[in-house]
Amino acid sequence: MRLGNAAVRVLAGLSIGVLAVGCSSSSTTSQSSSASSPAAAGDNSNASGGTPIKIGIEFPLSGGDASNGIPSDNGAKLAIQEANKAGVPGGFTFVADDLDDAVQGTHDPAQGAQNTKTFISDSAVLAMIGPFNSNVAKAEIPLTNDAGLAQISPAATNPGLTKGPDAKKGLTHPDVIAFFRVCTTDDKQGAAGATFAKELGKKKAFVVDDNETYGKGLADVFEEQFKAGGGTVLGHEHLNKGQGDFKALLTKIKSQGPDLVFYGGTSVTGGALLRKQMGDVGMSGVTFFGGDGISDDNFLTTAGSSANGSYYTLAAPELSKLPSAANFIKAYAANFKDPIGPYSANSYTAAKIEIAAIEAAIKANGNKVPDRAAVLKNVAATHGFASPIGTVGFDANGDTTAPILSLYKIENGKAVFVKQVNLST
Amino acid sequence: MKFGRERPFAVLPFLVLPLVPLLDRNNSHIDFLTNAGAFILLALGLNIVVGFAGLLDLGYAAFFAIGSYSYAMLASQQFGIHIPFWVMLFVASVIAAIFGILLGAPTLRLRGDYLAIVTLGFGEIVPQTFLNLTQYTNGPNGISPLDSPSLFGHSFGFSATPYYEVMLALIALAVLLATNLQSSRLGRAWMAIREDELAARHMGINTTTAKLAAFALGASFSGLAGVAYAAKLSLVSPDQFQFNVSVLVLSMLVLGGMGNIWGVIVGSFTLSFINGFLLPQSTNLAHSMHLNLDFTNYRFMLYGVILVAMMLFRPEGLIPSKQRRAEFREAKLDPALAAEEQGEYTLGPGPGAGTGG
Amino acid sequence: MDVFLQQLVNGLSLGGIYALIALGYTMVYGIIELINFAHGDVYTLGSFFALAVLTGLGVSGEVHGPALIGVVLVTVLAAMLCCGLTGVLIERLAYRRLRNAPRLAPLITAIGMSFILENVMQLWRGPSPVSFPSVIPNPIVHLGPIDIGAKQILVIVTAVVMMFALQLFIYRTRLGKAMRATAQDRDAAQLMGIDINTTIALTFLIGSALAGAAGFISGVYYGTTWFFNGFEAGLKAFTAAVLGGIGNIAGAMLGGFLIGLIEAMATQYIPQGAQWTNVVVFSVLVLVLIFRPSGLLGESLPEKV
Repeated sequence: MRLGNAAVRVLAGLSIGVLAVGCSSSSTTSQSSSASSPAAAGDNSNASGGTPIKIGIEFPLSGGDASNGIPSDNGAKLAIQEANKAGVPGGFTFVADDLDDAVQGTHDPAQGAQNTKTFISDSAVLAMIGPFNSNVAKAEIPLTNDAGLAQISPAATNPGLTKGPDAKKGLTHPDVIAFFRVCTTDDKQGAAGATFAKELGKKKAFVVDDNETYGKGLADVFEEQFKAGGGTVLGHEHLNKGQGDFKALLTKIKSQGPDLVFYGGTSVTGGALLRKQMGDVGMSGVTFFGGDGISDDNFLTTAGSSANGSYYTLAAPELSKLPSAANFIKAYAANFKDPIGPYSANSYTAAKIEIAAIEAAIKANGNKVPDRAAVLKNVAATHGFASPIGTVGFDANGDTTAPILSLYKIENGKAVFVKQVNLST
Repeated sequence: MKFGRERPFAVLPFLVLPLVPLLDRNNSHIDFLTNAGAFILLALGLNIVVGFAGLLDLGYAAFFAIGSYSYAMLASQQFGIHIPFWVMLFVASVIAAIFGILLGAPTLRLRGDYLAIVTLGFGEIVPQTFLNLTQYTNGPNGISPLDSPSLFGHSFGFSATPYYEVMLALIALAVLLATNLQSSRLGRAWMAIREDELAARHMGINTTTAKLAAFALGASFSGLAGVAYAAKLSLVSPDQFQFNVSVLVLSMLVLGGMGNIWGVIVGSFTLSFINGFLLPQSTNLAHSMHLNLDFTNYRFMLYGVILVAMMLFRPEGLIPSKQRRAEFREAKLDPALAAEEQGEYTLGPGPGAGTGG
Repeated sequence: MDVFLQQLVNGLSLGGIYALIALGYTMVYGIIELINFAHGDVYTLGSFFALAVLTGLGVSGEVHGPALIGVVLVTVLAAMLCCGLTGVLIERLAYRRLRNAPRLAPLITAIGMSFILENVMQLWRGPSPVSFPSVIPNPIVHLGPIDIGAKQILVIVTAVVMMFALQLFIYRTRLGKAMRATAQDRDAAQLMGIDINTTIALTFLIGSALAGAAGFISGVYYGTTWFFNGFEAGLKAFTAAVLGGIGNIAGAMLGGFLIGLIEAMATQYIPQGAQWTNVVVFSVLVLVLIFRPSGLLGESLPEKV
């Protein structure tokens, strides 16, 4: 009796569900057809003037990661302000639509994917800037690829995002590149790190990473390249999230006698404490080497005097050494009170490229709102674009054709610029 | 049981809600509702374990992870296996149920608070293991993209609407299952175990089977939720299943009313609404007024406040199940209420029996 | 062998921190059978209180000579007092009303308190790790092949001393006797004229004060603190308390040292062990609860009905 009743209800529920799915497929099509409506909106707005064209910006803007996200967000906004001031063809106005991908203070791939979908579903968004972090980008790339929305990241450096067997895996349009970046990738960063380690005369390295997309990716490349260059990698360990005591790990590392510890990851995920505790276990003489993840103040304050003698690479140029960046640095300081970040100029450049692409598309479309495909085509064709970080363009994978790396050494509690490498192809 | 009276009300939302995407064309709204739906499924599943059977599971996110990873491994390029979404709904809920039994079996002898800690331990072990087994799971990168579901040859694509409708159907299914389970022989056995396990055993209830069934069924719901959520996001990564997800779902139960299906749904939706809509919107409002306030930072504080305040002032939840209310109130030795409830319910220990604790 | 001995030292000093936290866990559980989930966060709070005091004193690095003793005493006592009072306040506000409620109610409340404390600390000191002055000089002692830092010795010695002090207090004083009586049978104790509320408040005061001391020591030892430290440290300390036999003071210390050793040895001897330490420790928790819920030193008690 009971069971019979249950079965009836289950069937009823299922049929409702199936009906519902049936309805939905029709509404899906109606929705996608509505995507073309902004062109129409653009038409009648010519008279009223100032129709917004949105550029979606997506960075971690709250919590601990905000110190990365906000200076980058500002860079993009500065470019948009300047474009509006200079006047947009067709009388349009650019609007920066910025969303936060940090959840509880940390960049979050699911939140990033969510934000990207919000951009995609808003037909006024013609291009996107962000994200900051590689694992977030990994979640977003299939989405912008499917939607044909141009996306430029200023700072996601993991090489696998654009290169290698996994990059195209499962994309809806494997032949289309919608994700671009103006930063140097970690294969170059890791390789440059390996070369530099060799120049320092290091032969036996121990590799540690924080078990996150960025850190592990960088550490893997370093390991490969250091070995390829004739060095020995004694071991490769991954840290636990939230761990604070690395003495046992360092004892293990010390017993193998490395002359270099390479760390892939950020200061907060263990880099700073690892360096600090090297001093405690009598390893302060061993060189500590990392990527741009330890380029922040947190590394200096937490590791204290132990930080001295560490080296790191930055996947961006040292702005103070670039004449082309002087105006940008001035304009940034005039507009924002947050200090400029290592990737502010990259983000500014990303926005400049997208703005140029959209403006060209507007002109080509008879001063009407262009579609995303036209914008994407223009972004992909970018080459020889003059920017604060030099002359940039994109290669066949969507990566910058002008990768620049800077090397720094920490001396007396301060990062000192060592040299800059231009790996332009 | 009172299904006769409740049925029309129960069916009504499932007739109206599928029409929402026709009225509201904003994809992000539908997207939000779909995510909220996934958490309603999770809350309904946890409700079977915590609400019905009274077994506090603090590692429920582990089953969510198992459901999601099942889909990611069996319906993506990862191993080149492409089992259809609809089949995976079934497969993943079975896999999750099996893990429910595997993880539940060793804990059967444990009493309430120890059980809670063991499940918490599992909740920590499972995502860490997915993270560490890089060769199968891509480690920190997670698995992405996943196969997009399709129906009659139409791929779901990027609109949230089809996922929304699927989520509604799954919730309808879950509600039906849960309602019927509650009033079944098994449901009464759970209630008896919840109120007094020793007495239940002496009454001839096979507590082992009943508890395992609770773990298995509860886990299977999160298997469903995991598949639907993973497919919609087209991604799984190990950091999606941390302890705070388990606590979030528990807060939904505590807020709505443990043991009451409709209460749990309301509690779940309320928290999702606050998290996914109210807090971000107020933050945007604050930013537009040039106030440097980020309300989303208070998200986890909110879970804590809900857990503490509800336990202190309304432990039975906003929309309580009558039995649960009786249990909480009676234990506090509120004579008036206890007497009132005694008239209606004869199950459970008499006043005073709960004070030994 | 040298490496093994060095890892022994590492494990014991890590375990000393767990032991200090576990003492508080075990005391509270012993008396009201509550898993005080917020205890780990009280420990973190202790490090932030200590940091505030040190900042107030203008200490930003190592301190030498007699001033060192003064600074350490003032900071530790202030951190212990603040944490103790926080513990009492939490008990009064959140747990007391639920003393007779179904067992899961106070546990859920404790989880809620833990989330609240974490977020209060996050609002107070931000979401990133905060650096902590090293205060105590850390000369390295070379014992044959192994190196021991002065701070490592401090951690281990403090854990042992605190354990003995607590044992003495509980078994040799009137108040300790009242605590034991309350733990055994609350109603009977009340009939004998013991003020139950005061006794339980005292338990929270002492347990939380110990967490405060642990917070200071870990801040000095690691040179950093973070609002979220308490979650994992608390969970591991709880594992330690369970391993030793929850409710048993000596067991808490033993368990703490064992968990520290397990972590160090897992790191050393499992290939790529660092990433598996949490899995290993929580597996130990699960296995102990399943196969020997009374722990190593605990007595098996039938569940009170």
